[in-house]
Amino acid sequence: MKFLLLVLSLIFGFHLDLALAQFKGEIVGSGGQKFPIAVSPLRNTGSATADAGRFSTGIADSIVHDLELSGWFRVIDRSSYIESPQTSGITLGTFDLKDWSTLGAEGLVKGGFSVQGSEIVVELRLFDVYQGKERIAKRYTGGVSQFRRIAHKFVDEIINQFTGIPGVFNTQIAYVSNSGGRFKEIYYSHLDGSEKRQVTDNRTINLSPSWGANSRTILYSSFQERGQTLYLRDLPSGKDLRFNPPGAGRFLGGKLSPDGQMVVATYESGGNSNLYLLDRSGNVIRRLTEEPGIEVSPAWSPDGKQIVYVSDRSGSPQIFVLDLQSGKSRRLTYSGSYNTSPDWSPKGDRIVYTGRVGSRFAIFTIPVEGGEPRKLTSESFDSEDPTWSPDGRFIAFSSNRAGKYHLYVMQSSGENQRRLTGSGGDDTKPSWSPRLVD
Amino acid sequence: MEFHPRMAYCTFLLVVSLAFGCAPTATTKPVPDSSGNGAASAKSSDTARSGAGQNGGTKESDASASSLKALQEGKPPITPASSPLKDVFFDFDRYDLSADARGVLRGNADWLKTNPSARVDVEGHCDERGTNEYNLALGAKRAQAARDYLVSLGIAPDRLTTTSYGEEIPVCQEHSESCWRQNRRARFVIAGRRATS
Repeated sequence: MKFLLLVLSLIFGFHLDLALAQFKGEIVGSGGQKFPIAVSPLRNTGSATADAGRFSTGIADSIVHDLELSGWFRVIDRSSYIESPQTSGITLGTFDLKDWSTLGAEGLVKGGFSVQGSEIVVELRLFDVYQGKERIAKRYTGGVSQFRRIAHKFVDEIINQFTGIPGVFNTQIAYVSNSGGRFKEIYYSHLDGSEKRQVTDNRTINLSPSWGANSRTILYSSFQERGQTLYLRDLPSGKDLRFNPPGAGRFLGGKLSPDGQMVVATYESGGNSNLYLLDRSGNVIRRLTEEPGIEVSPAWSPDGKQIVYVSDRSGSPQIFVLDLQSGKSRRLTYSGSYNTSPDWSPKGDRIVYTGRVGSRFAIFTIPVEGGEPRKLTSESFDSEDPTWSPDGRFIAFSSNRAGKYHLYVMQSSGENQRRLTGSGGDDTKPSWSPRLVD
Repeated sequence: MEFHPRMAYCTFLLVVSLAFGCAPTATTKPVPDSSGNGAASAKSSDTARSGAGQNGGTKESDASASSLKALQEGKPPITPASSPLKDVFFDFDRYDLSADARGVLRGNADWLKTNPSARVDVEGHCDERGTNEYNLALGAKRAQAARDYLVSLGIAPDRLTTTSYGEEIPVCQEHSESCWRQNRRARFVIAGRRATS
């Protein structure tokens, strides 16, 4: 483990785009190999059950999904595995490491499970094939319907082992989809599409979902009654709190503060949209901007002291940063004639946003203090609506590269762009939740 | 979602003698809406039902239902060619009125002057390009620009409300400029009779 941390924390710590190394302690630069790992189907260590195959390969599949989504691993294809998962052991010394080193695997995930009623107990281990050592051993208990969540938690442990920071796979993505027909409703699921839930079902237009700090609330805007406004959904109870606009206008969107106690919202009246600070019941604390044009799409800095947003005060939509204490705004983007939908990295260092390139839209990041933007997606299709992962190492967004709009995840460098499980409709406006507590 | 279709639109049509048949049940009075705000406009425009004018063998009503209502009823949010109130169109990411748009608005203002009890919700729409929340703000600008021009032509402000649907209810679904051009529009939905008249 020592060498792992040494080698890989060095890499991950300083160069996110150089997340390439080998178990052997050799640092491989950009364009080098990803870490080769094998993930064995799990052994049923309990009594025989009809669903055994589903759990055995399902948990392994979810682990593979997450490892590949991270972009840091090359998962060795299961069809080449030599040993039989249901007869070989899952602890060191009870299986042959050569069966795995032969395949080129330098890491190996093995595990077992047993089902008792509606509960599943899962034991998962990470081995260092080259060193012949066990790196992680974990036992999880959970409801059988949430067995994939156990896989996500274990991958978060693997990534913690490698980088010193847990992964972000035990999280959820909220998004807007028209998969149910012509209406736009809000859904959320894990990144692999599991545990999918429908948040709204009002057969109108629902937009701009964003998570509360505890992952138990979603703020969204909706046309479900009396014009557009914001609603705060309490997920455990399913209850909505409607934000009553302070005047004759309407709330177009908003975001909960990092501590969950306030909301920054866009309020439009008489054609002018401005930013307002609200309490979590929707009451106005104070107005934040006093501009005649469009001020829209606010997002919080991780310390809750600044707001990044879009303004067209310079003649075209550009990204601005507002300091809440001084009330002063500064312009952040100067290149391009259309820059919108910013989101502030949880690390605090960069802003991600959507920018127009020719007739297309691409995802960019730019340092918080300003500077040269970095384009992360190709202009041969459209990519929009970026949202950071809670660790700031990944960005989810929507893109029409496969025809309809689907959700994608990439590293914050733009590498390893992968499509998430789609709904069948247009999936847009992703919002990445904080890490789940359980 | 609660909707209260009150056939207000049909009643209104009868009042202004537009000679489109209404269902016999369409006697409910329009809901007075004196707040003049956009939040109320969606409700009042929801009372307009393009499908209500089917009695008497006439074609579909020639005025527009609200785009949200059209979406809910599975109908295209198109302004019929026979509608007395015409759409106006905008350039990408713009909300200023072209000479053409002003000409159309003058025609709409003339109709509003000869039908002084009509109340209208001005809808602002955008094409699909760009991001949703910005487009909601842009659609609000478009609706407001059209509304303000009608006011400058002498239409009473309390007859006009605005609603922005951003890029959410396109009239044309394809991904091409010819389609986007049709979607960058302001629509005029007859929302009922002026409460004060």
